[in-house]
Amino acid sequence: MKRPAALQELIAELQKLPGIGQKTAERLSFYLLRGTKERAQRLARAVEGLKEKIVLCSQCHGIADKDPCDICSDPNRNAAQICVVEEPHDVYVFESLGEYKGLYHVLMGVISPLDGVGPQDLTVDHLKSKVEENPAREIILATNPDMEGESTAVYIARVLKPLGAKVTRIARGLPVGGDIEYADPVTLKKSLEGRGPA
Amino acid sequence: MALFKTRAIVLKSINLSETDKLTTFYTESFGKVKCVAKAARRIKSRFGAALEPLSFINLIYFGKENQELYRLNHCDIIASFQSVRENLEKLYTAVYFLELMDVTVREGDRQTQLFQFFLSALHCVERQGRLETLIRVFELRLLALLGYSPSLGQCVVCRKEPMNGWIGFSCFKGGIVCPICIDQNPQEIRFQKGTLNYLKKLLSSDLKILERLKFPRTVEEELEYITHRMILSHVGRELKSYPFIKLMAEIDAPILEDAKNGQTGN
Repeated sequence: MKRPAALQELIAELQKLPGIGQKTAERLSFYLLRGTKERAQRLARAVEGLKEKIVLCSQCHGIADKDPCDICSDPNRNAAQICVVEEPHDVYVFESLGEYKGLYHVLMGVISPLDGVGPQDLTVDHLKSKVEENPAREIILATNPDMEGESTAVYIARVLKPLGAKVTRIARGLPVGGDIEYADPVTLKKSLEGRGPA
Repeated sequence: MALFKTRAIVLKSINLSETDKLTTFYTESFGKVKCVAKAARRIKSRFGAALEPLSFINLIYFGKENQELYRLNHCDIIASFQSVRENLEKLYTAVYFLELMDVTVREGDRQTQLFQFFLSALHCVERQGRLETLIRVFELRLLALLGYSPSLGQCVVCRKEPMNGWIGFSCFKGGIVCPICIDQNPQEIRFQKGTLNYLKKLLSSDLKILERLKFPRTVEEELEYITHRMILSHVGRELKSYPFIKLMAEIDAPILEDAKNGQTGN
């Protein structure tokens, strides 16, 4: 028997989300159907708010309620440090630490030849103009330690170093709680290269 | 369910669900193979850096024979080509090779000779300074190993040996076209007959001596045009990584120039 059109539409839309298949979409839809009308409306408003209330910060390209974002407009943040990350959600990973007090710059992706994403598709030019305004800043490259992230970091360092900026890269090596015996040679080598005083 | 053990080169890795990766390998014994690597994105993953594109690894995977997706069991790195990863022009040349392998080789097409050639080419990217010739040789020899070797002895239309002067090349027919036949097919590529000898040399030269080969600039440009058109004709589209090689070489150039001037100044 054919399902009601509204239910079928919700299942189809949920199925488009990452990690959700037919069965999960059906289970979530029936859960919402069984719940109160207010609950469904709250969810609908939250989804709608995502697109209507969230803006991209014109200074760091992170997501925020207002432009400029709370981090960029905070006078207590250290403007001499800019942490460069791949995606807006990476900002929250660093912020959850509570350790870093500098500013951020979101690249909105990484250079990926296999996906046809080049430097012109990222916010590298804006980062370059920030460095040109104030070359005394430290630029911390915090892209992922994979091939795309590493090559993007190498590219940005090439572009920024001639401008006189201090460009640093986050440390790579063994994870806390890891076992040296099972570490791959590349990670182990990086951990030796990036060793610090005990 | 069988267990497969072989050496392999990682062609590409894409994220799959929350923590898994779908990785494509070119293996020594079984050709191109796709495997799901469970929890490979976790920071403490047992696969570590071995699933990064370009890694040369020992690979163990399992599944039913000839199935589309296998399950990755174990891999450890033999060579990671670290110096290639630190030089953008070299890296994107290697990435172009990976993409070429991925789009031209079919799954299950087993060729140990092709694996050896591919591995040698990656080692050459690591060692050699001039990459232009290597790219041309890789394009030509890859097509030859896949059974699309260009016919360079006689005209592919009239079967006569071309005379001196301008000759043509037909990507569709896979070989050279003499001046008489090219007039009937004006859309074919035209180049000087001298370039033909360089083309033959590229097809037969050992990868290790490539750096010793010197080509006039005009010949290099003609060779690039011919081999690139052959790839376009075979693949049917421009490869995404191809424009990156030149882009990165342009970025590297002023830096290398500055370094050179700095040395001279000292």
